[in-house]
Amino acid sequence: MARQDRIKRRMIRQVVRDNLETLEGARPRRRGRRLRTVLTVARVLFLVALPAALFTSSYVLSTVAAEWRDDVWQDGSGNVSPSVRAPVAFSEMEPLPPMDSNQSRVTPQPIDPSVLPLGLHTVVLDPGHGGENEGTVSPTGLVEKEVTLDIAERVRGLLESHSYKVVMTRHRDVDLSLKQRAELANDARGDIFVSIHVNWIENREVRGVETFFLGATEDPYLEALAARENQNSGYSLADFRDILEQVYAGVRQEESRQLAGAVQQALYDSLDAVNSTVRNRGVKSAPFGVLTHTEMPAILAEVACVSNDVEARLLMTPIYRQYLAEAIVEGIQIYARSLGEPNHLEG
Amino acid sequence: MSEATPEQESDRVLNLGVDLGTSRSSVSASNGVRQAVESYVGWPLDMVARKVLKRDVLVGREAIDNRLMLDLHRPLERGLIKEGSDKDVLAVRELLKHLVSLALAGADRESLVVQAVVGVPAEALRVNKQQLRSALKGIVDSLMIVSEPFAVAYGLESLVNALIIDIGAGTADFCVMHGRYPLEEDQRTLPIAGDHVDEQLYRLITSKYPDAKISLHMAREWKERFSFMGAPTEKVWVVAPVQGRPTEFDATEPMRAACESLLPAVKETMLDLISRVQPEYQDRVRNNVILSGGSGLIRGFGLALQEALEEVGGGRVRVVADPLHVGADGGLALAMDAPPSEWDRLAA
Repeated sequence: MARQDRIKRRMIRQVVRDNLETLEGARPRRRGRRLRTVLTVARVLFLVALPAALFTSSYVLSTVAAEWRDDVWQDGSGNVSPSVRAPVAFSEMEPLPPMDSNQSRVTPQPIDPSVLPLGLHTVVLDPGHGGENEGTVSPTGLVEKEVTLDIAERVRGLLESHSYKVVMTRHRDVDLSLKQRAELANDARGDIFVSIHVNWIENREVRGVETFFLGATEDPYLEALAARENQNSGYSLADFRDILEQVYAGVRQEESRQLAGAVQQALYDSLDAVNSTVRNRGVKSAPFGVLTHTEMPAILAEVACVSNDVEARLLMTPIYRQYLAEAIVEGIQIYARSLGEPNHLEG
Repeated sequence: MSEATPEQESDRVLNLGVDLGTSRSSVSASNGVRQAVESYVGWPLDMVARKVLKRDVLVGREAIDNRLMLDLHRPLERGLIKEGSDKDVLAVRELLKHLVSLALAGADRESLVVQAVVGVPAEALRVNKQQLRSALKGIVDSLMIVSEPFAVAYGLESLVNALIIDIGAGTADFCVMHGRYPLEEDQRTLPIAGDHVDEQLYRLITSKYPDAKISLHMAREWKERFSFMGAPTEKVWVVAPVQGRPTEFDATEPMRAACESLLPAVKETMLDLISRVQPEYQDRVRNNVILSGGSGLIRGFGLALQEALEEVGGGRVRVVADPLHVGADGGLALAMDAPPSEWDRLAA
């Protein structure tokens, strides 16, 4: 009896402490303040660092270019022009190897964005499908285009409460081509692009969340999924090829991978608490059309499998959609915070 | 002026345990009052309705009965205040005011210090608790918000090596009791509960009998009377109009299927939580599973969970006989056990 009383006393103290923490230390508000502070600091640093970086880089580039132009420019045969003399400072160096005429003079290399502490201000949300393009439909009548819009609206509300600017590709039941969605995102000068979808998998036992960034795949399942999501893309084959070539080598792909990782982890961690059956299907690359033409880090999240009865039932409930929205926002915030960290792209 | 004695002080305090449920809410008070109301609040739609009803706001059964004249709200969704509607925040205030007035049983509110413990779903976010706290500001003097299954465990004094499964209308809450206030990892909330059964039953009956005109409200009433899992002991007959004529339908199979739709998620979550208990205590927890909440009264539910426990070595599931009040009773016990010094820190 005395033990039971002791346990009760301890529990009461813990209950009171939990209530006081709610009263005094509202975590979401604190986190919002911290995020705003991080963004403000990032903004200030950005304003200071960018002109300095631009000035320094333009000075260095112009100096080097001038020297290069004057001293080491080559003729079409690849040999150093006889009129060119090596500057005194370089006189002891080996002559530069002949340059392949097909080779560009400067090979683009991904830049680690952590060299400039950039902030994340504008998020473009893309609720998948819409209008006549309904997406997948569950046996219980759940329609993908409606679910994605509802989740995106929830994400929008949460992000706006954290002071992000949010642009939606659609607010209502309209059919937009993938190209239109990407153009809308580019026109809005979004910092990131998040496309929200729900999945349908032939094996109806399979369930879980998976997040994609743009890249090639040899997985037949992913090819089929991409083909399904790429319907009504608005791109020609040539457009698509050009775009893929542009993005594959770029830093944007790596940024997209980072963003996909943060959102996927947040989705899984958060959903595991409410849906113990959820499976982490991981971060994957696949050639989704909607990710190709966007000029910012872009991901596509398949937040549930409506082909699975349990997930379809969960997805019918507003609270589960809210959990999904909160998890996506959590992932975006984790990514936003990581932007200011050194070695950001190594994570 | 002489100071009040401790007895006089305690006479001035009214402790309350409150279970704000999606479908029904209940209050247990230290003066012995125990009441439950349907969680509906309605405001007269226009001047005519106000004149007929002679009231500015109606709560509970009265609100349901007069719903055609009311702007009717069921303000709690999955055990929390619905989002995005100021009217639902107001409705929660009206609901709690009503519960407090029932508990006062005619006593003068101004002469009493009212201290309340209110239960919320196990995994309610801090922001939800803040929202609730601000919605209830000024209605009680001090407020403590606790996880609902914890309140149940406290009321039943099952504080160590127990698993509480509290299935209401909006959520199924799980909580493993380890002799401490449950941490995040001790608790789960599933958004599948009684309302989900209503929706399934409605869907199954309308697809089996497309001519029958039924409403979700009718499905809910049938569930409350006839719900079961496993083998039926008798046929379930329900009456619904077909082209205006009352017609009897066999709803046995839809009822079983709708009720059993809760089972997979509840079983999985129960087994998962037990598997996370330290191995030497798992046996004790398996033999101390407590099924509570209105949906816990579905006939055969406890047995079905007990069968699921066979997969992991067997166990025992007890079903709480009075699920409507067990959460409020637990809250009241907690309110009465908390010393005044702790209450002073939690002014509403």
